[in-house]
Amino acid sequence: MRHVAERPVIEHPKPLTEPVLLILMSLAAQPRHGYALIKDIEALSRHRVRLSTGTLYGALRRLLDEGWIERFEQEDTSRDKQAYRLTSEGRRQLELELDRFRELSRAGFARLRLGEA
Amino acid sequence: MGAVFRVLLYLYPQRHRELLGAEMQAVFEQGAQEHRLLGPSQYLRFVLLEMGGLVLHAAIAQVANATHRGYLENQVHGALAPPQDLPDEVIEAQNRVALNLNQLLFAISHHQFVQARFYSNEERKARENLRQMQEKYGIRGPQPLP
Repeated sequence: MRHVAERPVIEHPKPLTEPVLLILMSLAAQPRHGYALIKDIEALSRHRVRLSTGTLYGALRRLLDEGWIERFEQEDTSRDKQAYRLTSEGRRQLELELDRFRELSRAGFARLRLGEA
Repeated sequence: MGAVFRVLLYLYPQRHRELLGAEMQAVFEQGAQEHRLLGPSQYLRFVLLEMGGLVLHAAIAQVANATHRGYLENQVHGALAPPQDLPDEVIEAQNRVALNLNQLLFAISHHQFVQARFYSNEERKARENLRQMQEKYGIRGPQPLP
């Protein structure tokens, strides 16, 4: 009798766009409202990326569509300062993407070492 | 400049504007206030990027709205199930168009013109794919909005 081990399901997520990745990274630490996201992403990218309002809300809309983030009302804030936070699915997707980067950089460094040897 | 931004927000679908418009306006005002202090050239650059971005993303939102109506509203107000009335292939094709448009804008706004050309070609391919999917499932393309 053959025993066939169940193979783990390997996920191959599609790469995230840079704005989406940066938004997820920013929200991983704490919930933020729109302007705080722009400022944090600027700092996170060492002033390389500054999202415009259209880009930010285009990406937020997609993330809401996907259920990776959710919108909630913070106490003592007005309607124009709704905050966003990661859902568990959003956190999972961010981890998958960061794992992908880790694998990629590991492979890249291995190739570099191979070239030096 | 806030008034111009407010007018440009009318390019977005009505529901998008109702749900996110006030928030977008507030974010723009905060950014404008900050960039005004950095001098006229920085302020002008900021305004041009903001206005250009707004127009392009309004176009993307109109495409998404015409094919995915009501979904955003459900998500923002707290979670109904994803729409079941479109085949997955079509939703995937729509998302691909929006994603490439978004990448195109991002590349242009960061002066990455090689990438911009790439995403422009990808967007064209994605749009053709969407058209084929719509044809396959007998779905009409984006309809004029009320």
